[in-house]
Amino acid sequence: MSENSILSIGAPGFNVDRLVADLQATADRKMKAGVYADARVARAEKTNLVNLRGSDDFVSFYLTCLREAVFVDISDFEIHERRRFFTPLLVAFKKAIWKILKFYTYRLWSQQNQINGLIITGLEGMEEQTAARLAALEQRLARLEQQASGHGSP
Amino acid sequence: MARPDRIAFVCPRYAGEGAVGGAETLLKNLAIHAAAAGIPVDFLTTCAQSHHTWENNLPAGVKTTDGLQVHFFPTDARDVPRFLRIQQSIDRGRPVSETDELFWLRNGVYSSALLAHLDRHATDYRAILLGPYLFGLSYFAALAHPRQALLVPCLHDEPFARLTCMKRLFSETAGCLFNSQDERELAMELFTFPAAKSRIVGMGLDPFAVDSTAFARRHGLTAPYVLYSGRREPLKGTPLLCDYMQTFRERSRRDVKLVFTGSGTIDAPPALRPHLFDAGFVSETEKHEAMAGAIAFLHPSVNESFGIVLLEAFLARTPGLVHARSRVLVSQCRASGAGLWFRHYPDFENQLLWLLDHPEARAALGSRGHDFVAREYAWPVIERKFMEALDAFAPRRA
Repeated sequence: MSENSILSIGAPGFNVDRLVADLQATADRKMKAGVYADARVARAEKTNLVNLRGSDDFVSFYLTCLREAVFVDISDFEIHERRRFFTPLLVAFKKAIWKILKFYTYRLWSQQNQINGLIITGLEGMEEQTAARLAALEQRLARLEQQASGHGSP
Repeated sequence: MARPDRIAFVCPRYAGEGAVGGAETLLKNLAIHAAAAGIPVDFLTTCAQSHHTWENNLPAGVKTTDGLQVHFFPTDARDVPRFLRIQQSIDRGRPVSETDELFWLRNGVYSSALLAHLDRHATDYRAILLGPYLFGLSYFAALAHPRQALLVPCLHDEPFARLTCMKRLFSETAGCLFNSQDERELAMELFTFPAAKSRIVGMGLDPFAVDSTAFARRHGLTAPYVLYSGRREPLKGTPLLCDYMQTFRERSRRDVKLVFTGSGTIDAPPALRPHLFDAGFVSETEKHEAMAGAIAFLHPSVNESFGIVLLEAFLARTPGLVHARSRVLVSQCRASGAGLWFRHYPDFENQLLWLLDHPEARAALGSRGHDFVAREYAWPVIERKFMEALDAFAPRRA
C-alpha cells in the first residue's frame, strides 16, 4: 500500500474502506508471491475454513499451505532436558529410547507421509479438475447467453 | 380503561450476577435507563448463571439491584440428551420437525414459574420486552402475550434463526427492537413482518476516562498486547484467535501478548500459553483499562447482532480488528472509521503488523472510534429511540 494513505489517515476525506482495501490488496499480492505458503498458516486457518466457503481463490491457496504441512518431520532432532538434576543422564536415556524405537516409528511415519502425500495430490487434482470444469461451464453459459440475446434482438 | 405504565423485561439471565453476555447486558441497561426515566420496571429472569447448564444457582425471589426490582424464578428440569440431539441436527442443517423445534426450545431454558407470573400480571404491564430470540423462555413468553410483547431479538445469521417456529415469533409480536440496521435487514430477509413494526434502538454507552497503562502495570505486562473481552467459546471465534496469534508470533517474531477478559475456557495451542494472559471476569473499570492499553481489540466472531465490547474499545480509543464475515462488526468499523476487518490469516497478519508499525495512525483510528461512539451511542440518544419505540408499539391510552 502507498505511504500516502497512511499519512492522510487523519484527513477529513479519510476512508477506512480504502485502507482495508489497500491492506487486503497487499495481502493478496503476498499470497500470490508465496509469502504465506506455510504449514503454520494452514494450521491457523483450520477453524476459519467454514467462513471461506465462498472464496474461489482461497481453496487453492489453502492447498498450497497444506502441501507445506502435510509431511511429518521424521528426521533426528536435538534432544534437550529441562530438569536441573541428572541432565546428561536423562538426555542419554532419551536418545537411547529414540534409537531403539526408530526402526518402528520410522516405518509408521513414512507410511503416514505416503498417505498424506497421496491425499493432498488427490485433493489438488480434484480442485484443478473442478476449477477447469467450472471455467468451461462459465464460458459455455456466456456463449449461450450471447446467442440467446442475439436471437432475441430484431 | 387506562393502560398501566409499568413495563416488564424478560431475559434468561441477569447480567452481573455471575453471568456475562451481550444480550443480557443490553436488556439490563435498557431496563435501568427506563427506570431512571421514571417508568416502573420489573425485570423477570431465572436463577441460572450458566448458559450451558441453566442450573438454579441463585435464590428465587425478588431483589432490588441497580435500581430495579429483579424477580428471580427457578428454571424447569430439562431433557438434556434429547435437547442436544436436536440441537446437533439444527446445527448441521438437517431438517427438524416443528414438534422437535418446540421441544428444543422448551428444554433450552424455560421457567414455568416465570410464565405463570406473567400470566397472572400481564394486565399490569404496558409492554413486555423479551430477548434474545432463540431461548424458549423469551419465545413462549412472547407468544403467550403477543400484543404486549416487544422482541429484542439480538438476531444472528445462524441455523437457529432458520427454524420454522421463529417465523411465528417475528410475525406475531407487537414490535421488534433491533440493535443495528444490519440486524434488521437480516430479519427482513428471514421473516415476514412489516417494516413499520420494527425500530433500531441498540444500547447506549457512558463515556469513561481510564489510565491506559494501569492494566499492564498491575499485571506486569511489559510487551504490547491485543485484547479480547467476552465469552470464550468456538461460536465467538476464540479458538481461531488463539491459532492466529500463535502463528503471528511465530512468523513475525514480534512479542505481542494475547489478553483475555471474560468467562469460559480458552482452547489455546501449548506454545501460545506462556504469552497468553487470562484476567478472567474483571470489573468494568479494569476491562476499560485493559481496552485502553491494547494495541487493538480483536473480535473474531461472525455471529453478532451488536458489538458492545467493540464499541467500548472504541470509547477507550483503541481500534478494532474484526472478522470480515460479521456484517454487524464490519458495519460498526466502517461507520466509525475506527476498525479494520480480515478475511483470513494473511489479512490478519498484514493488518496487525500495520497497526503495530503505525502508532500515530492507530491513535487516529482510536480517536475516530471514541468520537463516533460518544456521538451515536450516548444514552440520551438511545433513550429517545427507546421511548419512541415504546410509544409506537405500546402507546399509553388515556
